Amino acid sequence: MSAIAPKFRFSYFLRSILDNVFWIITLLTLVGIPLAMVLFFYFELPVMNNNLTSPYLMLTTIADPSRQVPLLKSIMHSDFFRITAFPGFGFAALLAAATIFIERKMLAKLQLRVGPFYCGKIEGILQLAGDGLKLISKEIIIPAKADKPIFWAAPVLFVATAAAFVALIPVAGGGWVVADVDVGLLAVFAIIGFFPVITVLSAWSANSKFPFIGGIRALHQMVSFEIPLILSVLGIVILTGSLNLSEIVQSQIHYWWIVFLPIGAIVFFIAMLAELERIPFDLPEAESEIVAGWLTEFSGMMYGLVQLGSYVKLYAFSALFVVLFLGGWNGPMIWPPFPEDIIKNGIVMGPITAHIPGLPLLDQQMINDVVWFVIKTMGVIFMILLPRGVFPRIRIDLLLHIGWYKLIGLCFVNIFIALGLLYAGVLGPGGIL
Amino acid sequence: MVGEYAANFSHVLLMFGFAIVAVGPALLISRMISPRKRSNPVKFLPMECGQVPQGEGRTHFMMQYYSYVLMFVVFDVMAIFLYAWGSSLLSLPKTATLPIIAFLGIMFAAMAFALYQSKRRNIW
Repeated sequence: MSAIAPKFRFSYFLRSILDNVFWIITLLTLVGIPLAMVLFFYFELPVMNNNLTSPYLMLTTIADPSRQVPLLKSIMHSDFFRITAFPGFGFAALLAAATIFIERKMLAKLQLRVGPFYCGKIEGILQLAGDGLKLISKEIIIPAKADKPIFWAAPVLFVATAAAFVALIPVAGGGWVVADVDVGLLAVFAIIGFFPVITVLSAWSANSKFPFIGGIRALHQMVSFEIPLILSVLGIVILTGSLNLSEIVQSQIHYWWIVFLPIGAIVFFIAMLAELERIPFDLPEAESEIVAGWLTEFSGMMYGLVQLGSYVKLYAFSALFVVLFLGGWNGPMIWPPFPEDIIKNGIVMGPITAHIPGLPLLDQQMINDVVWFVIKTMGVIFMILLPRGVFPRIRIDLLLHIGWYKLIGLCFVNIFIALGLLYAGVLGPGGIL
Repeated sequence: MVGEYAANFSHVLLMFGFAIVAVGPALLISRMISPRKRSNPVKFLPMECGQVPQGEGRTHFMMQYYSYVLMFVVFDVMAIFLYAWGSSLLSLPKTATLPIIAFLGIMFAAMAFALYQSKRRNIW
């Protein structure tokens, strides 16, 4: 879609790149390295190869890969990295962004549209960045009579609660989880219970009619579907005997719980859709009835944050579904294991031996786990997105009827199936399987 | 002992705090770079699709579904009680299941009565 600039000369292009490189090198030597030397004195440096690192040694790691690897490893196993980047916030936000893009393109394909197209070279892949920039540069308008501190805090609290939910999800074996809690499942339910509170708080503080109606609807919906959500997982807890999410995943090495408890999985999925306020249960944000429900008064970046929070929540719920029913990270090795010789001795070709120090940086088992986890999670996210292109919205009395009469009944059927499997000696300790 | 147990949850709180620290600046930056014009008082009225809003924003809401909220308060706690049983079931004797079945029966009867009452819209 874009043409080469009319005054384009390849020499200008080269010169601009060389200019940039020159300035980067100059500034790095004059400012960056002295600043790093000063800052390293104030940090507690890690122990590498059994000797304490000095700021000077720390600087030489830039040129020495054999010392970079243990440093990167120690960073990767720190709590800070877990919280900010890998199983924590960064990973979840990345998957949430991917989800938004996939949702828009997929809905467009379902409805024979094109979807985001112009922003970015390939299929509008930069649309999300463009939307973010647009939202951040828009004015935030707050109703004059609103309860301002609560109204400002609500989107931030929404994102933070979704992030706290992500903290409990194990992503790969070997402890790749932010918070490995013994009662992880109960902690998840405790955090889910905060979402309706935040919704109602923001709706009440806006002092406007549409948010108020949307907030009350969200309260009814989340409150009714929380009981089926909680009861549908009880079957797994009965068969596993544990509330720790990592242990629940390890119990599914041979078979997934969805094989034995399909009713629980279906009920959990429906309750999950209702908790996420997605079609067909998007009554709180029904755009054809009450403008945008409880999001009506949010503008600019506040709306963007609520969207970020809801997609992080979507990732967390689908990851929870994978952890509970689809065997978590368990899956066959997709790539044959890397030869040990090359890691230890390097590649020997006649007289030359090439040592590649970066190889043991990532555990191959862990990469395999993460790949399987992401594949399954994206599959569940796809199944969550799909009803949006297919189903109409449900009426509120039917919604409550489904939640209280049908889903809770099915939950108890699921519990009795689990008890039957346990007492018939099929599963559990000493079972046939 | 209790402190150790509570310390397990500190990472959840850290993640909560990190998310606040990470997304709070987005609101601040937005506040700094976006235009702010206070020229028009109509702009700060609540959204009512172009009409000038009348009356209170926090209106009365029909309470016909209030019974479900009341039921939630009771049955959510009962559902969590079932977890205390379910997570320790493997170490319990099999005879301990019968009282729980009785508990489920009480729960079902209470729920059926509550659902029957919630259908009688004229009393709400």
